[in-house]
Amino acid sequence: MRSGAHPPVTARGRVNGRDVETAIAAQTLLIDFLRDAMHLRGVKRSCDVQACGACTVLLDGRPVSACTTLALELDGCDVETVEGMREASGLGAVQQAFIDAGAIQCGFCTPGFVMTVHALLRQYPDADRPMIIHELAGNICRCSGYESIVHAAELARDRLRERAAAPSEAVVARER
Amino acid sequence: MSDSRGWTVRTRADEGPEDLVAKVTGTAIYATDIEYPNLAHAALVRSQVAHGLIRSIDTAAALAADGVVCVLTGADLADIDPYYGELVYDQPAIAIERVRYAGEPYCAIVAESRALALEAAALVTADIEPLPGLFGPDQALAPGADPIHPERPAQPDAHPNVCRQYRLDVGDVDAAFARAAYVHDAVYRCPAIYHYAMEPFCSIASWEGGGLEVISGTQQPFRVRDGLARMFGLPHTRVHVRAPYVGGAYGSKGEMKYEPLVAALARKAGRPVRLACSIEESFHTVTRHAASVRIRTAVDENGWMIGRDSEIVFDTGAYADKGPRIASRGANRVSGPYKIPNLRARSAAVYTNTVPAGAFRGFSTSQVLWAEESAMDEIAEALGEDAVEFRMRHLLDRGDQYMTTDSPLDADLKAGLRLAAAAVDVGSPAPTNVGKGLAVGVKDAGGGAGRAAATVRLHLDGSIELFAGATELGQGSARVLGALAANEFGVSPDAVTVRLADTATAPFDRGTNASRTTVGVGGAVLDACGKIRAQLREALLACGVDGEDFRLVGAELVVGSFRRSLTEVLAGLSSIPVREVGFLIGQGLHVVEVEPDTQRSRSLYYEVCYSTVELEVDPDTGRIALRRFVSVTDAGKALDRLACEGQDLGAAMMGIGSTLSEELVYEDGILLNPNLIEYSVPTTEFLPSHGFESILIENGDGPGPFGSKGVGEAGIIAVAPAIANALYRATGVRIRELPLTPARVWEHLATDKAQRAANNVPTEPVR
Repeated sequence: MRSGAHPPVTARGRVNGRDVETAIAAQTLLIDFLRDAMHLRGVKRSCDVQACGACTVLLDGRPVSACTTLALELDGCDVETVEGMREASGLGAVQQAFIDAGAIQCGFCTPGFVMTVHALLRQYPDADRPMIIHELAGNICRCSGYESIVHAAELARDRLRERAAAPSEAVVARER
Repeated sequence: MSDSRGWTVRTRADEGPEDLVAKVTGTAIYATDIEYPNLAHAALVRSQVAHGLIRSIDTAAALAADGVVCVLTGADLADIDPYYGELVYDQPAIAIERVRYAGEPYCAIVAESRALALEAAALVTADIEPLPGLFGPDQALAPGADPIHPERPAQPDAHPNVCRQYRLDVGDVDAAFARAAYVHDAVYRCPAIYHYAMEPFCSIASWEGGGLEVISGTQQPFRVRDGLARMFGLPHTRVHVRAPYVGGAYGSKGEMKYEPLVAALARKAGRPVRLACSIEESFHTVTRHAASVRIRTAVDENGWMIGRDSEIVFDTGAYADKGPRIASRGANRVSGPYKIPNLRARSAAVYTNTVPAGAFRGFSTSQVLWAEESAMDEIAEALGEDAVEFRMRHLLDRGDQYMTTDSPLDADLKAGLRLAAAAVDVGSPAPTNVGKGLAVGVKDAGGGAGRAAATVRLHLDGSIELFAGATELGQGSARVLGALAANEFGVSPDAVTVRLADTATAPFDRGTNASRTTVGVGGAVLDACGKIRAQLREALLACGVDGEDFRLVGAELVVGSFRRSLTEVLAGLSSIPVREVGFLIGQGLHVVEVEPDTQRSRSLYYEVCYSTVELEVDPDTGRIALRRFVSVTDAGKALDRLACEGQDLGAAMMGIGSTLSEELVYEDGILLNPNLIEYSVPTTEFLPSHGFESILIENGDGPGPFGSKGVGEAGIIAVAPAIANALYRATGVRIRELPLTPARVWEHLATDKAQRAANNVPTEPVR
């Protein structure tokens, strides 16, 4: 298909919590929109066939491969990328766990893994090791041998559970 | 080397090391991420013919297409030396007159975007006259086979399709075989595989700064610089190469790959150009050598191995790349780490019309040990001896000569083997269809004689800057080198800024390969820091303070109760004002010399790993499920434990993939599975069900800082034979061809069952 063969289509959505309105060619892939138009270079291109997970982003909380998703899908949706995973206090719990577990080597797969773990733990805060292994099977890491990545997911799960179990200071203050 | 201060692992107060924070937040910049002014984008047209003569290329339609800047073919390279390679310059930047493998680029398009370049590339047509394809060493070496490089024979005294042949002769092998009580003879094969670095090949070139600037995901920026300077006739000073973060390499990004072509494209376009290959294109760039290894071993009447005769054929594909050294290094390793007094090896790297093969983690050791360590189990069984005890008897001792032309062995292999055998309790009985196995891997490391360098600057505010030519590929070099410098001054690693892989600022470095960075470059960092400490000590003496035991606290030097700013201390050192000094500098070196008397090349050290595995075979499907895998690796001293374990388990998993599933499949020279759907690299589901562990041996006996050794490759080299040995113990079936896919295992099980039934042999396997 020739570039520009179709008139641009307008899409309105949110990317990492910010409203985005854009006119894009209908055939534009989400990976190209996020990388080239939004400058979100943490969305990594590797396999191009939805098999490696390096370009995983969350579309309304659901992990998708941006390499096989049309950019127009963002219309009316929330898109989250690794750049949006920082919390006000610093690194997100999943991000910090990847560092602490030694789960990062070349780093090219890391953003995709972080997003997949986020999606998993949001939906299943108590995900056990077999479930983690199963859910992460769509992300390829060629450096680590995976053990440290599974450990990172378990560490993030435990920390998030602890955080959920301990009433936050804001809640305590309000109850007083 | 100033080990006197000892090694202290310092924890950080912040989120973590800068490189890891960048990677986990998506801000780490790789070659594909760099935004470059006025950048144009390239796409390549690749041959669908495996071997042929280029009669004509029609680029008119492509040139007229939207957004096209220029088109380039081999005819555009007449004014440069278009050929490159490591030892043999046989590979053109783009095909010239002839294509030698299906997938070889013969035309390149530069356009305003990668999408427009790809659209234009589809409009290029070519008349390529097919020649007979030579799709394996057997065909390539057949009498009368057409030469693949008729104009540039790599080894003129051999068959024209021999890229390199090598002979190893030690003792009298024929006499050993003449008196042998038992001879074991078998052939082991493994197919070509692909590294599958997650980041596809990507390079940027620009001529806008008064020379050639190249940004590339490369392991060897200085080799790229020197090669480009030679090809384009430029002084080294006018070629600036730097490597940003590299998304995995494992050998695939050594030497030059697309850099010469991208430089030629940028020259013709008159603009900066990026070539960002797809993964499918990356599969068509470099592979690991397919190999056939025949090993004959002579054993005397007392069960001692007295001779070995080997023939190794490596399929090096269409171009030499690192094939010549693969051939020689592989042959040198046929003895394994064992005492075998008489050795003969004949090895060859052979040209074929397939994707070029080059370096791959393990550098030919994996292919040779696949044969050698399988044979060790087979010989032990033939002798009726336990496979561990058979190895124990023959293992080299510390200080013994290994590989005749290299350094003496620097590890305690027997203690390591005992530790590894206990790790999975390899001798204990196992349930039906379950087997345990191990293999020993030893590889010369560090790349022989050579030197590594580092520059350290101590600024007047107490901050430290470290420059080295090493590339950060994910192994954590930036962190360990920075931590070494920090340790020398007693400061947090945060105080050190590490700048790697930039030919304009770093001292020369041969490349990030052969597991040499921690030992070589790390040693150079200590040397550089020692030189700065010597200057500080002299300045302190001028202040009336004597003592080696000083440290840096912020911008102050502290010795006991003495505490004074660097600026004040240094004022006594020089007659010029301190602010004119700016910083202290230390130029560090780590040198490994060739032995002058024997001209022996000396490896820095040996990488040692014992792979041990427990697996279960499903007899109905042939599927192998790993239950437990323990990789026991000699780290000398783990300077960064998580990073060492990550290297070890990462290497082991890579070996598990090439043992169980990975294989590049060709049909008439066409690669059938250049994608992640049909080429199966390990996923989390390959994780052993009952544990995947790394045990690090730390005897502090390495030549690196604080007794460290490198651990980049050890973990992969013994995986395949360990699994095949365990498979044999589980089933009684010996398979000598990789990968051990369910189909292959099932076929062997079925054949074995039929043979046993025909011979009326009970089906219980040997244990």
